[in-house]
Amino acid sequence: MSGPLLLILAVAVAYLAAHVAFDWLARRFLIVSGAEYLVLGILLGPQIANVLSSDVMEGFSPLITLSLGWVGAIVGTQFHIRSLVRVRALSYRVAFGEALLTLTFVGLVEFAVMHFWLGMPDWEGVAPAVALGAIAAVSAPAGIGVVARHLGRRVALLRQLELTTAIDALVGIVAIGVLLALRHPGHVALARPVTATEWVVISLAIGVVGGALFELFLGRERDEDRLFISLAGAIILTSGAAVFLHLSPIFTAMVMSATLVNLSPNREEIVRTLHASERPFYFVLLIFAGASWEPSLRAWVIPVVLYLIARAMSKTGGARLAARLTNTLPALGMHWGRALIGQGPLALALGLEYLRHPGAIVPSIVFTAAIAAVLLLDFGSAWLIHSAVAPLEKDQRTAPEGATS
Amino acid sequence: MRRALILVLLWGGIQLLRPLEATHGVSSQTLLVFGFLILAAYTVGEIATTVQLPKVTGYLAAGLLFGPSALGVVSLHAIADLAPVSRLAVALIAFLAGAELRWSELRDRARPLLTMLGTELLLSFAAIMTLLVVARAYIPFLTGLLLPETLVLAALFAAVAIVHSPAVVMALLTETRARGPVARTTLGMVLVADIVVVLLFSGLLALARTAVPSTASSGGPSFGLVAWEIGGSLLVGAALGGAIALYMRFVKRELLMFAIVVAFFGSEISRLAHVEALLTLLVAGFVVENGTKQGAAELLHAMERSAAPVFVVFFALAGAAIIVRDVLLIWPIAVAIVVVRALAIRFGCQIGARLSRAGDVERRYVWMGLVAQAGVAIGLVAVISEAYPERGSQMATLFLAVIAINQLLGPVLSRVALKRSGEIEVGPGAKGREPGEDVRGDKLTPATQAPSGP
Repeated sequence: MSGPLLLILAVAVAYLAAHVAFDWLARRFLIVSGAEYLVLGILLGPQIANVLSSDVMEGFSPLITLSLGWVGAIVGTQFHIRSLVRVRALSYRVAFGEALLTLTFVGLVEFAVMHFWLGMPDWEGVAPAVALGAIAAVSAPAGIGVVARHLGRRVALLRQLELTTAIDALVGIVAIGVLLALRHPGHVALARPVTATEWVVISLAIGVVGGALFELFLGRERDEDRLFISLAGAIILTSGAAVFLHLSPIFTAMVMSATLVNLSPNREEIVRTLHASERPFYFVLLIFAGASWEPSLRAWVIPVVLYLIARAMSKTGGARLAARLTNTLPALGMHWGRALIGQGPLALALGLEYLRHPGAIVPSIVFTAAIAAVLLLDFGSAWLIHSAVAPLEKDQRTAPEGATS
Repeated sequence: MRRALILVLLWGGIQLLRPLEATHGVSSQTLLVFGFLILAAYTVGEIATTVQLPKVTGYLAAGLLFGPSALGVVSLHAIADLAPVSRLAVALIAFLAGAELRWSELRDRARPLLTMLGTELLLSFAAIMTLLVVARAYIPFLTGLLLPETLVLAALFAAVAIVHSPAVVMALLTETRARGPVARTTLGMVLVADIVVVLLFSGLLALARTAVPSTASSGGPSFGLVAWEIGGSLLVGAALGGAIALYMRFVKRELLMFAIVVAFFGSEISRLAHVEALLTLLVAGFVVENGTKQGAAELLHAMERSAAPVFVVFFALAGAAIIVRDVLLIWPIAVAIVVVRALAIRFGCQIGARLSRAGDVERRYVWMGLVAQAGVAIGLVAVISEAYPERGSQMATLFLAVIAINQLLGPVLSRVALKRSGEIEVGPGAKGREPGEDVRGDKLTPATQAPSGP
């Protein structure tokens, strides 16, 4: 049986299984669906069944890029400045503090691992360390909705978690986007080489100029079908341009959609149209990420295990430190960082992007770390959020009415 | 106009990025071209509507403009890379077309439909074959042949030339939301014609292989293979339709994704089973529509949504594949074939309508919807090229020129037909399809109209 056919069958069966089993599990045991597609991808990939062989994967390369771009575009829709300015500055300080602490801590730990364990000379370990730090910064937001439905209301911590996961995504995507631009292989058909800074500017410019042009292109279009065609064209073109130049499609698509939602009068329609089509792209991304995995030829166990430990420590410790520094610890609770430990498709997308970049160093180790984190933490992300939110929610319920207002 | 200006800016942007392409390593511009093509075709399609032309013509024109024959944004390599999009489009079109057919309607309209189709196909076949035989001295693939061989190859060419384009008809019906006897009869005819033409072609190819032996090692498909292609399509399509019906009955969720999976799956299974993808998906759509109580309205709505960008690219790619230089080289004979074919379709339909006592609008306008050509015709030409490498390639060049002209002319004529027969929305009080109605005018449920995504 052919690879594409088996892939279609596998997606269909996995999808049905996800709906039949995981919807029920999500409601009953607070389990988030997603990682099962990743497992499916690994099973179908060249390492096990070889149904999705390297050739098949190459054929689907544009679809993978498009999925990465779509994920980036969906993240970008969260950064609508007029909505963001209504949120207290304190919440941003907490969110940025936690994200940057995680990025720095995991980055430093991994740099040490690259240098001392893998024996990388001087600064060579910086790129994989930053990539792992960026991936570590992002947290899975899927469990927030599950917990909110379970509790029947959106408590203050859930709102803070929504903001924090968005900022985590921003920090992670920007870090990877800048890293890939700085690590650009160069060798273009110009008279002089393009500098690393110029690649960063080009990467940003594709997103900003693209967003501005597409805003003019869309105008006041409100018809959902026409909007879908135009948005699909815009995302495909932006992520295609990024891949064409060996830059980050997630980063450029995120900047493009953030520009678009800030300029366009049709923000709500754009967001709705993008979200209506996100699930198929997530499925594709997870399956292909699984199939893209290959074990590293170098000793990968220590870097991956340390990544998981350092990330868990920095998420819990960093979140607590950020809350303490901003005097929000009583409101958020001692263990609110636990709610940020879960990792989902975005972490995988960043890992996959690093893996596909021609200038990547030890890409298999970085990607294995991302896969391991998602496999271990995605299912339990809602449970982790619940364990952080439930005590606060209980306190609020038992406290006198005046005390909570 | 604003969108056209943005498009020019985007085109300029792409030209600026081109020198920055990496000179070593793998660098793909497929997605870049794909994205640009969607926006370009969409824009030109919108411009086309302002001058009373169908969007499909705009999509084709965009492909022609940005294709290898003109500005060269879309290269031949990119067209080949985007072939899966075309396969997906054909699958979606076929399923949508099959689901538009109701058994009860077909039964009621069988007589006019089959009579008109019979006379139209017969007359077109005879007229084109006669033209080729008479003008054989000017036709590259017939020069230097004896009369019996000329007759056989002319018949083979004519068998392909009479084929229509379900893709254009479906795209126009979706675009214009047309309903009425002209829309229904045209759709029925193009679909049944596909089956008839494939059968006729297979028989003639077997005859041609005997009369004009091929130098190629494999002289085309055997009768058994052709029989399997038709019969197998019916079997596989029915099985696929049954599976879809079960999904619609027991799951009925995520229809947008399911629609894409159905199209991909149908296309892939057809390729593996060596059956005709168009016919397989058509049968599947027909089975779902007619074999279930609730019909396929919700799935069709989801499919129409997912098909929208695919259609845009499909027709743009078809436009980009038109090589103007080839058309210009043999334009006199190509134009002659186009004119003779169009006239034969017209008179054939009118005679058939008169014989079957069909309505006046059908007699006057149905022929216009039958002029467009694509899809199946290109596939059949490829089979001839394989069977007769030398003369087949000359035949393919002429045929692609004919298709190119019909492809540009056909959608315009189709739209004129639907407009003149009063079956599309052209103003207040028009009896075209309302939003939320299917092609038969049935009201969709509120749940059907809601976006099917999460």
